[in-house]
Amino acid sequence: MNTLRNLGLLCAFTTAAGLVGCAANIPPQDLVTARSNYERASKGPAQELDPADVHAAREQLDVAEAAFAKDGDTQATRDQAYVAARKAEFAEVRARTLQANQTKDRVVAGMHADERKAVALTSAELAQTKGQLATQGVVLQAQAATLATEKQRREEAEKRAAQAAADLAKFATVKQETRGMVITLSGSVLFASAKWDLLPAAQMKLNEVAAALTKEDPTSKMVVEGHTDSQGAASYNQDLSQHRAQVVRDYLVTRGIASDRITAQGFGPTRSIADNASPEGRANNRRVEIVVTPAATP
Amino acid sequence: MFKTTIFTLAIMAPLVSACGASYAPPTQRLADAQSAERSAAELGANSVPNAQLSMKLAQEQIAQAQKAMKDGDNLRADSLLIRAKADAELAIAQAREKGAKIEGEKAVDDSAAQKATNVGQGATK
Repeated sequence: MNTLRNLGLLCAFTTAAGLVGCAANIPPQDLVTARSNYERASKGPAQELDPADVHAAREQLDVAEAAFAKDGDTQATRDQAYVAARKAEFAEVRARTLQANQTKDRVVAGMHADERKAVALTSAELAQTKGQLATQGVVLQAQAATLATEKQRREEAEKRAAQAAADLAKFATVKQETRGMVITLSGSVLFASAKWDLLPAAQMKLNEVAAALTKEDPTSKMVVEGHTDSQGAASYNQDLSQHRAQVVRDYLVTRGIASDRITAQGFGPTRSIADNASPEGRANNRRVEIVVTPAATP
Repeated sequence: MFKTTIFTLAIMAPLVSACGASYAPPTQRLADAQSAERSAAELGANSVPNAQLSMKLAQEQIAQAQKAMKDGDNLRADSLLIRAKADAELAIAQAREKGAKIEGEKAVDDSAAQKATNVGQGATK
C-alpha cells in the first residue's frame, strides 16, 4: 500500500518534471518564425543587396536565442524573437525594393539610350537629306546654266536670222504670203539677158540667201521658181525659166541647203506680177522666187 | 531599538520592493513607435495588403502598451512598444516596396510605348 502510494507520487513527479523539461526545450513560435525568416533573408538577395539589415536581424536573433538558452520560453524571449522575425522580413522587403529600383533605373537608362540613338539616327537622316538637297541644288544650278546658255544661243540665232533677213532685204523682197515666205530676186541681178549662167555678183547674193534659208525651220520645203517676161516665144521662155530656177536651186544646195528640201520649177511668162507693156513692168516680171513652205502639218 | 529596526524594515520593504519593480514610463519608445506608425500611414501602408497587416499589429500593440502604462506595467509597455516599432518599420518598408514596384512597372510600360513610337516614326531600324 505504502509502496503503491510512493510509486504514484514518483509517477506524478516524473511526469511533472518531463513537462517542465519539455516546456523549457520547445522554442516558442516567435523564435521558430524568426529563425526561418532569418534563414530566408540570409540566403536570398538581401544578403548581397542589404547586408546591413541582414546583419541587424542576425544580431537580434542572437539576442533571442541567448534569452531562450538562458531563460527558456519566457515573454522576454518571445518579444526578442518577435522583433528578430520582423527585422529579417524588413531586410527582405528592403532588398526587393532595391531590386525594383534597379530594374526601374535600368529600364529608364535603356529608354534614354534609345532616345539618344533615335535622335542620332534622325540627325544622320537629316544630314543625308541635306546632302541630297545640296546635290539637287547643284544639278538645278547646272540645269539653269544650261537653260541660260540655250536661251543665249537662241537669242543669238534669232539675231543672226534678223540680220540675214535685213541683209536680204537690200537686194531682194521678202513677203509672207498664204503659200509661205516668198523671197523675190530680180532676174537682172542674177543673170545676163537670155542666159542662165549665174553672174559673179549673183553668187555673193545667193550666198546670203542661202545663209538666211539655213536659219529657217529645217523641216520646211523650198521651191525655186523661174519667171520671165512675155517677150519672145513662150516655149523658149519656159525653157529659160526652168534652167534659171534649176541653176539657182543647185547653187543653193552647194551652199548647204539639203537637196531633198528644195526643188526647181520654171513658169515662163505665165505668172506675171507687172505689166509687160512697159520696160519696168517687164523688168519686174523677170525674176526668181524662192517659196519657203512650212512642213505639212501631219 | 531592535523592535524599531524591525518596524522600519517592515515599512520600507514594500517600498524598496516597489522601487525595484518600478520602471520609468517608456514615453520615448511610445513617441518613436507612434512616429513610425504615422510615417507608414503617410506612405500609404493602409492600401498595401501586407503593409496594412503590419500597421494593424503596430497599432494594436501601441494601444496595449498605453493601457499597460496606465496600469503601471511600464516593463510590459516597453516590450510592446519595441514590437510595435518593428512592425511599423516593416510597414514603411512594405509600402515603399509597393511604390518602387509600381514605378518599375510604369518605366517598363513607358519604355514599350517609346519603342513603339520610335518604330512608328521609323527612328529605329
